[in-house]
Amino acid sequence: MSAPTNKQILNKLLLGRNRSGRLWAALAALCVGTTLLLVSVIIWWDFNELLYGKDQNDSLGSTFLVIGKKVTDQNMGMKNATLFTSADIDSVTHAPQVQEVGLISSNHFPVYAMAGGDLAFATDLPLESVPDNFIDKLPGNWNWQPGSADLPIIVSSQFLDLYNYVFAPSQGLPQLSESSVKLISMNLKVGGNNGMPPETVRAHVVGFSDRIGSVLAPQSFIDYGNQKYGKPGAGSAPSQLILKTKDPSDTHFAQYIESHQYSTNSQNLRWSRVRAIVEAVTGATGILAILLMGIGTLVFVLFIELTIVKAQASLALLKEIGYSPRRLSSFMSRHFVPLIFGTLIVSLILSLTAQYFAAGAAARQGLRLQLMPGWPLWAAAAFCLVILLLLISNAVKNAIKKG
Amino acid sequence: MQLTLRGVTPIPLRDKINTYASGIWKQDRTFDKGQYVFVQAPSGTGKTTLVHTLYGLRNDYEGDVIWNGQKLAQTKAEQLAAIRTRHVSVIFQDMRLFPELTAWENIEVKRQLTNTVTAEEAAEWLDRLGIADKRNSQAATMSYGEQQRAAIVRALLQPFDWLLMDEPFSHLDAANTHKAIGLVQEVVKRNNAGLILADLDPNEYFPYTQAILL
Repeated sequence: MSAPTNKQILNKLLLGRNRSGRLWAALAALCVGTTLLLVSVIIWWDFNELLYGKDQNDSLGSTFLVIGKKVTDQNMGMKNATLFTSADIDSVTHAPQVQEVGLISSNHFPVYAMAGGDLAFATDLPLESVPDNFIDKLPGNWNWQPGSADLPIIVSSQFLDLYNYVFAPSQGLPQLSESSVKLISMNLKVGGNNGMPPETVRAHVVGFSDRIGSVLAPQSFIDYGNQKYGKPGAGSAPSQLILKTKDPSDTHFAQYIESHQYSTNSQNLRWSRVRAIVEAVTGATGILAILLMGIGTLVFVLFIELTIVKAQASLALLKEIGYSPRRLSSFMSRHFVPLIFGTLIVSLILSLTAQYFAAGAAARQGLRLQLMPGWPLWAAAAFCLVILLLLISNAVKNAIKKG
Repeated sequence: MQLTLRGVTPIPLRDKINTYASGIWKQDRTFDKGQYVFVQAPSGTGKTTLVHTLYGLRNDYEGDVIWNGQKLAQTKAEQLAAIRTRHVSVIFQDMRLFPELTAWENIEVKRQLTNTVTAEEAAEWLDRLGIADKRNSQAATMSYGEQQRAAIVRALLQPFDWLLMDEPFSHLDAANTHKAIGLVQEVVKRNNAGLILADLDPNEYFPYTQAILL
């Protein structure tokens, strides 16, 4: 007959009275709590990535505002009075809620647009440029160099709406879809004002912006034109800035805009509302998850204490024959700690599976989520592990000490 | 290892102890390793209380129990466990086996704690005391006599300086008592240990160096 090992005997004495159903129930409670906590961290992290991430998710959490200096009766005749100095720009950069500042450059040279065919038109055209990262839908071919065959242009979608719903019906002209506008080729006559011969550039509308109510050309084109054909003394100071703000409804930001007499369209608050809702939802999920994790942990700790209470007589006798509390605690911990690790691994697998499906769902909405969540998930898992190990070793130690 | 008692008085027995002259309670006494001490304890004088107090199972007493200069009442749980595995062993009057374990598991749970006696030797001791056939019997199903013999073997499975015994042969007949005395004496000698045996009536189980009336 093989001799029973010390572990087998202690198992029989200390754990033999447990019903495995109860152990699984306690582990399931712990697993549900831990999984919810990890999932809530993933939800928080995902929304953070979507709202504030550097990824191409349209910076959903930020509100973009174009500001300019108010044209007042006092400054309307003053040259350069509404231009932003470098000190102004520095001040705006450090204003409350402002995350990023982009300079809006406009053309200081004449641009005359002409198109032939059924939609023949000819008009002076104001152009502006903003840094690429401020453009909401950046087209793939958004670049221009001297000698390029085609100049890409982005037009405010409001202009198309104005044409389709107001101008075209009144003039008996056909309404145009975005894709048909992109097919229209036009020629831009650029310069010709400073003694230099004008040049003609072929241009296409390549995209529509919901964010910027202007006609945009690549920065390189505006810089090229201003340098070559710009009016002397026009300088390069911008007359408008585009701000990426976290929350433009913040009173400190509003006060800043007001006190500096800047003009802006401050009605565009929908993203801050969305963000507020998202933050409330993630916050509530987090609180619920912490509560459930707490309950799950409590159930598991109570299960351990119950196990020890059931084994109280054996524990007392083991101590009487010389077993040290440390040895007994270590035996109990060695039994429960692998279960904690197992539970955490199951929770992590479930959380990562949830993230996999969330990333798939987000992709169908045109949003990109990483399949492997970032450090917050691992930090949360490590935090759970440390807390659980501390609680359980403490529960075991105290229960054995009392016994 | 030296045992010193300094005015030890169990609180529950305080009133009774004040009515007679005990050889141990309220006395200052020192016992050196190697001594064979017999404590004769008529019923109700605290025989089991004495063994439990010396072994550190009770703290409801006045005075000090001192093992090698260390007051037992102030000894931490870990140190107490060390004393119980290396210096002081005990045979309880009520045996205190684990009822759900077999006789052999009761032996192994102690033997594997210190690993000073081989499994073969432990098996041989069971055989000497006549309970080898009870090896796989659950302790709860064994007779008191069999349980007592298993408890005696269990107490001998560790190194010790002192063996405390509380009516160790109360459930054994003369022949089995004789066998048990032989085994105990052999292991006590091997450990160069002392023993303290508390019993109701005078006996000559061992060559006592001291006999004290409790």
